[in-house]
Amino acid sequence: MKCEYCDILERKSTADILYEDNEVIIAIKDFSIAPGQLTVFPKQHFTIMEMVPDDIIQKCFVLANKVSVAIFESMGAHGTNIIVQNGLGAGQKVPHFAVEIIPRREGDGLNLQWTPKELSEDEKETSYLLIKEEGDKLVDIGKKKEKKEVSPIVTEKISGLNGKDNYLLKSLKRIP
Amino acid sequence: MPELTEEQRKQLEEKIKKMSPEELKEFQKQQCIFCQLISGKIPSKKVYDDEKCIAVLDIAPASKGHLLIMPKEHYAIMPQIPDKEIGHLFLVSKYLSQVLLKVLKVSGTNVFVANGAVAGQRAQHFMLHLIPRKEGDKIIEVEDKLIDAGLRAKVKELVEKRLKTLLGVKEEKQAALPKGEQNVPEEKSVPEEESAETKEETAEPDAEEETAAEEKVEEKPAKTTKKASKKSSSKLSSSKKNKPKDEPESAGDASLDDIANLFK
Repeated sequence: MKCEYCDILERKSTADILYEDNEVIIAIKDFSIAPGQLTVFPKQHFTIMEMVPDDIIQKCFVLANKVSVAIFESMGAHGTNIIVQNGLGAGQKVPHFAVEIIPRREGDGLNLQWTPKELSEDEKETSYLLIKEEGDKLVDIGKKKEKKEVSPIVTEKISGLNGKDNYLLKSLKRIP
Repeated sequence: MPELTEEQRKQLEEKIKKMSPEELKEFQKQQCIFCQLISGKIPSKKVYDDEKCIAVLDIAPASKGHLLIMPKEHYAIMPQIPDKEIGHLFLVSKYLSQVLLKVLKVSGTNVFVANGAVAGQRAQHFMLHLIPRKEGDKIIEVEDKLIDAGLRAKVKELVEKRLKTLLGVKEEKQAALPKGEQNVPEEKSVPEEESAETKEETAEPDAEEETAAEEKVEEKPAKTTKKASKKSSSKLSSSKKNKPKDEPESAGDASLDDIANLFK
């Protein structure tokens, strides 16, 4: 399966690599939301965030924070946005988990701000109860993360969610 | 605080200038509605709560189930947060994202962080947004466009040196940098030795840049890192100078102060 980000790390792409180690890579892609955008992603091919092991997730975002600082200081940016598009519905284009860091300036013409949605009390309450029930089960992630395995829920979810456009499912089968 | 008059604002600024870092932090905390929300003084719909952070439903959500995940400790901006806590916050977001996918039957989530007012940061308490998404909901609409190769080269030139300093990657042929000079916290997450090695094998396209950098470096090798950070921060910190430092994690980076102070 062709993956643009795997191509980057195999040097089959014109993207510039700024940093890499055994697990993670920082690159400047040729297609980006805005000029100056940097992308942090794990070397191993994981489709969505839920599949990425805990330590790699942590590392990706620690690096993203440092990238953000570097952008502030060296590009004269007034701010940065850190975005993950996780899943098709969230605008994910490449089936490889990645963190995007976007420099922002006054009047840069980017609009990443959403308009708040009016929800009925009923909707608010049901979603709250549903999420809280599952959230309570998580207890303290920091303490019990070693024991916890991630995959089952994701597999279930993914197969249920899209019959048509299914790179997520394909790559799930690929993962050992 | 946009509702203050010019004079009130000046008085407040004076007051803030005189504060010690500890006082300032306490002051910010008192002013911060999210700290009050965390302590329970303001009611919220809490869905996750541990030692270091909480997650609540956003009161002005982009979609049903939009969560805010924030550290219990008051940090105005992301660069102030220690690596360990960053790791924890985003790990929590991974697990909560999984929850959202499961219970709301959505087909994706956005993790979204705004650093700085221009990026959409509204509160002076760091938080990350976790937004459930469905195809066609038009919540965060972004298009990828082709970035000109010349522009990308420029970006690389601008950011590479500072980034490597921050990551603790040693420049080639300059390995004898004393440990103490590197401003990377002793986190295991970035294996310095390994990364430096891989870099040596792989980096050749930017030879020109490196030689330019080396010329400067060779004069005073031991001070390179400091020099680099001073240089970049002085560029940005031109506007305001004698500002209270409230950033134990990144002392010496005046430009970070500037960003933090945008929210005063």
